[in-house]
Amino acid sequence: MAEKRLLENKTVIVTGSKRGMGRQMVTTFAENGANVIAHARVQDDEHMDFCNTLAEKDHVKIIPVYFDLRNESEIKNGIKTIRAKKMVIDGLVNNAGISYTALLQMTSIDQLREIMDVNFFAPYILSQYISKMMLRNKKGSIVNISSSAALDGNPGLSAYGASKSALLCMTRSLAAELGENNIRVNAICPGVTATDMINDMKDDIFRIQKEASFLKKVATPDDIANTAMMLLSDMSKYITGQVISVDGGITQFSKR
Amino acid sequence: MTNLELYKKSFCETFEIQEDALKGLVYQGIPSWDSVGHMNLVATLEEAFDIMMDTDDVIDLSSYEKGIEILKDHYDIGF
Repeated sequence: MAEKRLLENKTVIVTGSKRGMGRQMVTTFAENGANVIAHARVQDDEHMDFCNTLAEKDHVKIIPVYFDLRNESEIKNGIKTIRAKKMVIDGLVNNAGISYTALLQMTSIDQLREIMDVNFFAPYILSQYISKMMLRNKKGSIVNISSSAALDGNPGLSAYGASKSALLCMTRSLAAELGENNIRVNAICPGVTATDMINDMKDDIFRIQKEASFLKKVATPDDIANTAMMLLSDMSKYITGQVISVDGGITQFSKR
Repeated sequence: MTNLELYKKSFCETFEIQEDALKGLVYQGIPSWDSVGHMNLVATLEEAFDIMMDTDDVIDLSSYEKGIEILKDHYDIGF
């Protein structure tokens, strides 16, 4: 357990908490004293066990909620479920996303819409409704998980990169809109991170990405979770509208 | 407190105005009912009536009277 629990008594929503970065975020936030509303698309025993075990270990509440981010009415019902808990919401991490790599001519419009639904529209809708809850308390922190793909142009990433770029524009605008009410909005751009999502990545691409990092390694989920934790905590109370790359310097390398 | 009293109180407290200024009040009709004030009003109404307003209703809430109509028709709030 961390020496100083940075999120003690805060309640944070994390979307996409079943695997990868989201799962690590729930673990890290709980270790640091946060109550976590852990979203996933589909309920299963493994996720329930994960939530229960963490709650017991860290003496916090971990509340699983399940809804499909591709469906607006499901999202609204999910938010109603969260509201019904009558908890003060301190943080929202729009983490859930789908990755997709395909060239322009190989990307169907249906696929593009699905990517935009999950990677952009869902965070937008969640931010709309959850920020209203934050407004009552005049405080809150929204963290959007974007991607290094939003910052540069690589073949095959037009759809995914566009969805993540949209999230960055939303981040900056919301920071300006909500700042007056002490609600901060920031984004994290992870580089290649060791999660299930990179299983589809070809070995040579993975090797090139690793070599392009100044640190000569890829990120781990806890690198991203720790940055998100900092942005949710009072340690960052004067940070808003920022895009933080957690990529070992890859995006700087590509500018050289 | 009746629902109407609660509704009036939400407006008066959010915009720091007196009750006699409510009739005919429209969005952006007074300096405090700007876009930021609007979001604060919505948050106050949601809290007061324990509802979650749909974004379409947030956009449609263009006057004091229209708000009553929305709460009545879409959220079963009796006035």
